[in-house]
Amino acid sequence: MSTKGSSLKGLLLVVLLVSHMLLTKEGVTSLPICPNGSVNCQLSLEELFDRAVKLSHYIHFLSSEMFNEFDERYAQGRGFIAKAVNSCHTASLTTPEDKEQAQQIHHEDLLNLILGVLRSWNDPLIHLASEVQRIKEAPETILWKAVEIEEQNKRLLEGMEKIVGRVHSGEVGNDIYTPWDGLPSLQLADEDSRLFAFYNLLHCLRRDSHKIDNYLKVLKCRLIHDNNC
Amino acid sequence: DLLQGPQISKCRSPEMETFSCYWTAGNFYNLTAPRIIQLLYKKSNEEDWKECPDYITSGQNSCYFNASYTSVWTPYCVQLASKNEVYDKKCFSVDEIVLPDPPVHLNWTLLNTSQTGIHGDIQVRWDPPPTADVRKGWITLEYELQYKEVNETKWKELKPRLSTMVPLYSLKTARDYEIRIRSRQRTSEKFGEFSEILYVSFSQIGIGCDHCTEEVEFPWFLVVVFGVCGLAVTVISITLSKQPRLKMLIFPPVPVPKIKGIDSDLLKKGKLDEVNSILACHDNYKTQLYNDDLWVEFIELDIEDPDEKNRASDTDRLLSEDHLKSHGCLGVKDDDSGRASCCEPDIPETDFSASDTCDATSDSDQFKKATEKEEDLLCLDRQDNDESLPSLANTDPQHQHRNAQSENSHPWAHFADSVESPRPSVHTQISNQNSLTSTDFYAQVSDITPAGRVVLSPGQKSKLGRAQREGCTEQNFTMDNTYFCEADVKKCIAVPSHEENEPHVQEQSYNEDGYFTTESLTTTVANFGASTAEPPSSEMPVADYTSIHIVHSPQGLVLNATALPVPDKEFNVSCGYVSTDQLNKIMP
Repeated sequence: MSTKGSSLKGLLLVVLLVSHMLLTKEGVTSLPICPNGSVNCQLSLEELFDRAVKLSHYIHFLSSEMFNEFDERYAQGRGFIAKAVNSCHTASLTTPEDKEQAQQIHHEDLLNLILGVLRSWNDPLIHLASEVQRIKEAPETILWKAVEIEEQNKRLLEGMEKIVGRVHSGEVGNDIYTPWDGLPSLQLADEDSRLFAFYNLLHCLRRDSHKIDNYLKVLKCRLIHDNNC
Repeated sequence: DLLQGPQISKCRSPEMETFSCYWTAGNFYNLTAPRIIQLLYKKSNEEDWKECPDYITSGQNSCYFNASYTSVWTPYCVQLASKNEVYDKKCFSVDEIVLPDPPVHLNWTLLNTSQTGIHGDIQVRWDPPPTADVRKGWITLEYELQYKEVNETKWKELKPRLSTMVPLYSLKTARDYEIRIRSRQRTSEKFGEFSEILYVSFSQIGIGCDHCTEEVEFPWFLVVVFGVCGLAVTVISITLSKQPRLKMLIFPPVPVPKIKGIDSDLLKKGKLDEVNSILACHDNYKTQLYNDDLWVEFIELDIEDPDEKNRASDTDRLLSEDHLKSHGCLGVKDDDSGRASCCEPDIPETDFSASDTCDATSDSDQFKKATEKEEDLLCLDRQDNDESLPSLANTDPQHQHRNAQSENSHPWAHFADSVESPRPSVHTQISNQNSLTSTDFYAQVSDITPAGRVVLSPGQKSKLGRAQREGCTEQNFTMDNTYFCEADVKKCIAVPSHEENEPHVQEQSYNEDGYFTTESLTTTVANFGASTAEPPSSEMPVADYTSIHIVHSPQGLVLNATALPVPDKEFNVSCGYVSTDQLNKIMP
């Protein structure tokens, strides 16, 4: 009998450990307070913002590293930097470009902008994850990061939609969105051109993820900590 | 000597709100004024190059862009040019060139000291650079602290952290320390400049330990000394320990050649006799083992000399080659015991052809009756022929009697369980088929006489079945099979005599090896002619020895058989043995 009990305990422990491992896989989430799908449970706004900031920081960290690796591996000697007065597909979205503008914009608008940028990156990230595998001898780290960024972006989008739902008093603006048409450039036959397209895309990704990370931190400090982080 | 034109050395933004670019003038001497060098900039979405708005604020050879000129995530290009030529060009975006200012307002407080007062813990605090707007979250910084003793050269580093305070543990109160901190934007790799150095001195706050100037260094000498002593003590205690297992574990014994039972001292002393005896013992053990075994190597004995009974040891007699004789009979002597008859051709009853040297013809006669071939073993049958069976039958199967008989070198007398020798007819099994077949058949050696004879207990399978049909007469024992079934023999036992024989029979049945005792056989034979009563239906335990001719699996063992054809098809299943011929008849 005792052995049966101890074996059950062991099984339970294993289940707990495995579930904990799976939940903390990305390394950015804290333990969930509310299980998924629970109606009555509500995370505080602070919690939501904490998680959002953690996610956005992680995404930016990954994009930065991925860009550096790509730069090191493929861009050396090709003069990409000289050409890289590039424009990202999200440039059409008018986002605050300095601190003053960020402080002046209304938090709801800023949230909508953030959502718009995130949505605009959904499509490119999917294609990035699939196309980067076609690069000749792509390092495993780049491949893995591409997939990871795509996943985390989805999660951040969900989180942001939750926050927007909490914060917005009025209607949620779903109109901010920029389509991406860079897929053909990622599939060019000429390797140099294709690599340049990737370089640009990764550069834009790093920049936009930094933007979002910054906006979220500003919002968090403004809304949660009353400008006293 | 190398001519170097003006170069943009770096562009830096301390707080992501402004930025500055710096350049070097180079060693063009013909440039009269730095003003000739211009820094032009262009945002990515613009077409025209604009000139630097502020050449002064950041110092010489610099260009300062204030907040109004700075768009953080916008790509810029700057170029260093004079009227005619472009010296250098750089493209970047402001978020990439963030290098924060150093932290300010470093201070430390004492947390606690150790009991001896030699070590202490302190807490270092600082403020973020004033230019970085951390409070509104516009920029997030992380800090790296470095410290060292005043007279050291190498700085110790702590991991970068977000908080603006950090504890330092286990600092020596007798020494003074230096601390410096630098910061960077959280996702960047490059750090900004170091802050000013913070001096930590315990004596200033009165904690300093005056008398503990000596640093306690690791006592290597003591460690070595104690380690060696401990090891020596351990080794000595293990070697002297009474615990054999522990000793064996740590100092396993070196295997030396060893013969069981022989003491090396014995050899050293030179007592060869004892050694010989020990060695001989081993062989004895061996033979004893075989004694217990059902299947025994047939031992050929050939004792020529009647005087051989006076030999020193039985073993010698047994094993000595001299005993082997062409007579083939163990200790068969030419006396009235009938040994001689073994070798005489005209003795009809002898089933027992003891040896090759016995007359082949006589042997063949005997073979007809004999089922078993026992070479040169006790010529039991021969003795039977000469001795009166009843007399034998009535005698107790005593060893003493046997011994008495043996004195006459009648090996037959030395039966395992009976004095009597088995009937020749029954004894057909024992009779050898030397002349006809190869000499490998088996018998159990039941005893060894002092005279050196081997007493065998014959295993027999008599074909009493057949005999019984024919009235159990000797001549009716057909020797188509080398074995008799006991059952057959049993059947020939007369009823009236059965009872008196019964005890013997019973004795026999209890015989472990399952052999017929000679006694039982003799009784059987004794009553052989006495009555033609029907043999008891009860079956005696079958215990037979046979030589295996071939192992004919899966059909079974094929036993050696005489060449004689099987007169009748029936074979006694109860015996459990099948001769080759029978087998051939049974199987296709």
